[in-house]
Amino acid sequence: MGRYIFRRLGFYLIAAWASLTLNFVIPRLAPGDPASAMFARFKGKVQPEAMTALKAAFGFTDAPLYSQYFTYLKHLLQGDLGMSYAYFPARVTEVIGTGLMWTVALAGVAVIISFALGSFLGVLAAWNRGGWLDSGLSPALAFLGAFPYFWLAMLALYLFGFVLGWFPLRHAYGHDMEPGLTFAFAADVARHAVLPAASIVVATLGGWMLGMRNTMVTTLGTDSIRLAHARGLPPRQVMLRYAARNALLPNVTSFGMAVGFVLSGSLLTEIVFSYPGTGYLLILAVRNQDYPLMQGLFLVITLAVLAANFAVDLICLWLDPRTRAHA
Amino acid sequence: MHDSLRSLLRHRKAAVGGSLLLFFLLLALVGPWFVMDPSELVGRPHQPPSSAHWFGTTGQGQDVLAQTVVGARETLAVGFAVGALVTLVGALVGVTAGYLGRRVDDVLSLTTNVFLVIPGMPLAIVLGAYLPSGPLRMVAVLTVAGWAWNARVFRAESLALRGRDFVSAAVVTGESHARIVSRELLPNMASLLGSSFIGNTLYAVGAQVGLEFLGLGDVSAVTWGTNLYWAGNDAALLTRSWWIFVPTGLGIALVGFALTLVSSAIDELTNPALRVHKPAPLPRGTTLPVHVDRPAPGVLLSVQDLCIDYATEKGASRVVDTVSFDLAPGEVFGLAGESGSGKSTIGSALLGLLPSSARVTQGRILFNGMDVTALEGAGLRAFRWRQVSMVFQSAMSALNPVLTLGEQFHDTLAAHGRVSRTASYARARELLGMVGLSPDLVTAYPHQLSGGMRQRVGIALALALEPRLVIMDEPTTALDVVVQKELLQRMLELKQRLGFAILFITHDLPLLLALSDRVGILQGGKLVEVNTSEGLRTGARHPYTQLLLSSFPHLVAGDVSVTPHPPAVSELSVARPSTRIAAIPGGHR
Repeated sequence: MGRYIFRRLGFYLIAAWASLTLNFVIPRLAPGDPASAMFARFKGKVQPEAMTALKAAFGFTDAPLYSQYFTYLKHLLQGDLGMSYAYFPARVTEVIGTGLMWTVALAGVAVIISFALGSFLGVLAAWNRGGWLDSGLSPALAFLGAFPYFWLAMLALYLFGFVLGWFPLRHAYGHDMEPGLTFAFAADVARHAVLPAASIVVATLGGWMLGMRNTMVTTLGTDSIRLAHARGLPPRQVMLRYAARNALLPNVTSFGMAVGFVLSGSLLTEIVFSYPGTGYLLILAVRNQDYPLMQGLFLVITLAVLAANFAVDLICLWLDPRTRAHA
Repeated sequence: MHDSLRSLLRHRKAAVGGSLLLFFLLLALVGPWFVMDPSELVGRPHQPPSSAHWFGTTGQGQDVLAQTVVGARETLAVGFAVGALVTLVGALVGVTAGYLGRRVDDVLSLTTNVFLVIPGMPLAIVLGAYLPSGPLRMVAVLTVAGWAWNARVFRAESLALRGRDFVSAAVVTGESHARIVSRELLPNMASLLGSSFIGNTLYAVGAQVGLEFLGLGDVSAVTWGTNLYWAGNDAALLTRSWWIFVPTGLGIALVGFALTLVSSAIDELTNPALRVHKPAPLPRGTTLPVHVDRPAPGVLLSVQDLCIDYATEKGASRVVDTVSFDLAPGEVFGLAGESGSGKSTIGSALLGLLPSSARVTQGRILFNGMDVTALEGAGLRAFRWRQVSMVFQSAMSALNPVLTLGEQFHDTLAAHGRVSRTASYARARELLGMVGLSPDLVTAYPHQLSGGMRQRVGIALALALEPRLVIMDEPTTALDVVVQKELLQRMLELKQRLGFAILFITHDLPLLLALSDRVGILQGGKLVEVNTSEGLRTGARHPYTQLLLSSFPHLVAGDVSVTPHPPAVSELSVARPSTRIAAIPGGHR
């Protein structure tokens, strides 16, 4: 078991190193020297001496590539992602810090609700195969799932924000609110999160439901379920403890793989709602050609996804005694 | 191949999805010639749908209908191009890794898995921000961000195929790698290539629209993504101009839905288990109330004129045909027959375990005078296991892998009366001891046990409620000879002690003759002969029974089972291992 965790950890370290390196390589491979373009924007704002220092801080020097690479790694290890151009002179880490919190909260809550609800619906659909849930709701949700997340977000914002006025139109909390650990602030944050979270849930629910339904159908055909029925176990117990519990395993694995995908979608949703998470920051960074912020965000989002994947691995380990033994 | 194409056309999902897709392809291809110039400012901005502009105008005064139709063209072109490219790259990497294996696989798999966990959209955004604008940028960015998933799927598939005999044969005969891959592997991946291409196109359309919405496409081109980008920029929501973003969104969703339908149709055709069967409803002979006859003396189970039909797409098919037999308390009754003779179906019917596509259309199964076929719900559940239990052929896979043995015993006991976990565990330990296993295994998981041990657990579980009849459905087929013998010996000892009756179902006639008091021979769903083991061995009357017996010459020739260690056994065990059971003392009475 320890060995398994160790191996997974090793894999995520390699993946993290690969994304760090990608992050280093992409700007340097790009045609047209975006590095100079980036520093051109600092011109006039900072003293020439400061400019040299800045370039050094970002690792763009005349030094050979490998030494630039090591400088870059050294800075990263010190937790230094450089300075944001758009939010100059704020450091990239400061800008990302708050954004990451909002993204993790919004996408995290939405993804967990969607996975839990979708899996449960999938269990019911497979259990009552051919029933209204299976033949009615699944295709309807599959159809909803075919809309881009951000388009559903636009529609939700249009209907419930602009036309009906039930929910706030943008941001994570009202401008008149004082952020703090008060009930009023929490309620306001929740009110702002309803539409973005709901549009993510609606867009992804069908996928989870279908995935769970299909593994559940396969599980229901196994002898372990026939034996459970033969023993006279109550149907609910057979459905949940014998079928769903086993069908859940492959779905948790695919949940891990989908985390990055769902996060990608939720980044777009943030943009529709001007929700101050990493997605919104990322697109602002792209529009302002704020390369240090953009790359810092890419790195932080990637590391967050890697961490989520590792967490899912641990959950699988906990759920399945077989991997626990072989690991 | 032709067959699968034909069934694809007949499939409802495929038909709906295919026609939708065809519609949009035609729209993208010829539509642009029938609408206005999508970029030209043809009216006042933010105009709702009217006769002049069916879908209204954009925030700049362009025709929304024209933008929607023209937008389909580049969106679908890029979508299909990226779909094909991603499939190609994924298949290339995956097949190379899976086929060559070893070092190559290690490196490629690691790369694939790394790309799989790096989130695609941020990677695409960062890449896109640095590359020069244009449709090629879109294709490149989406391919880099999306190839990994496919590589993984194709690797798994080629690993599976690599292990198959026909590929191994080709390797042994010294064919070149290229030839094996192109002749043996790829043709067998046709359906996977098809469904991957569809799935990748779906991904490509979605991701492309997302990136363009962010302004990372060519904002001067007319595509579905840029339509939405401009809708956002020109304040479509603020001005309540729903008509600007709704048609494009519907277009994207309908294309996505069509692709999903086609890919799920391909999945269902290649994996029939996922299909929802709607077989023609079967007539129930007569709906009988649960009624209790006075059981005939000395009869525990009475199967009377039992007919069971399976619903198939071609109509009802009779698998059990007017079968009748009685079973006395404490008797061992054997049902012999080849696979498909209906013997297991009878076993299932005794516990009300028939699959939903099968039905008892005639006859009764009286257990202690009570008609089992009319039992339902709580009544059926109370009957199961307490009166009749079953040892499955696959008890090894029939145990729940995620629960300890103790939990599974507890569930069984708790379903038939309130019982504390402590009491259940104590009973489980006792039962495990009874079948010759260590009582400490209550805390073990099924995967920690060998096949023979798991089958013993299956027996212990079957005896948990001390039922009066235990059905054994090929309980030893998957076990090796020594384990088989020990297991059956144990079972017969327990039977002597606890006095339950056994219905033993197997294709192994010699085994049955050694074990059973009486044996019934099933052929094509009909019970062709019932006799005592002794009577069958010496004077089988039905030609089918004679045929079955003559395939085991040693048994007909001499009475193998009376001597504890007959000389013929060692010889027999080579030809047909299971006949060794004939040596069980007391197995034949």
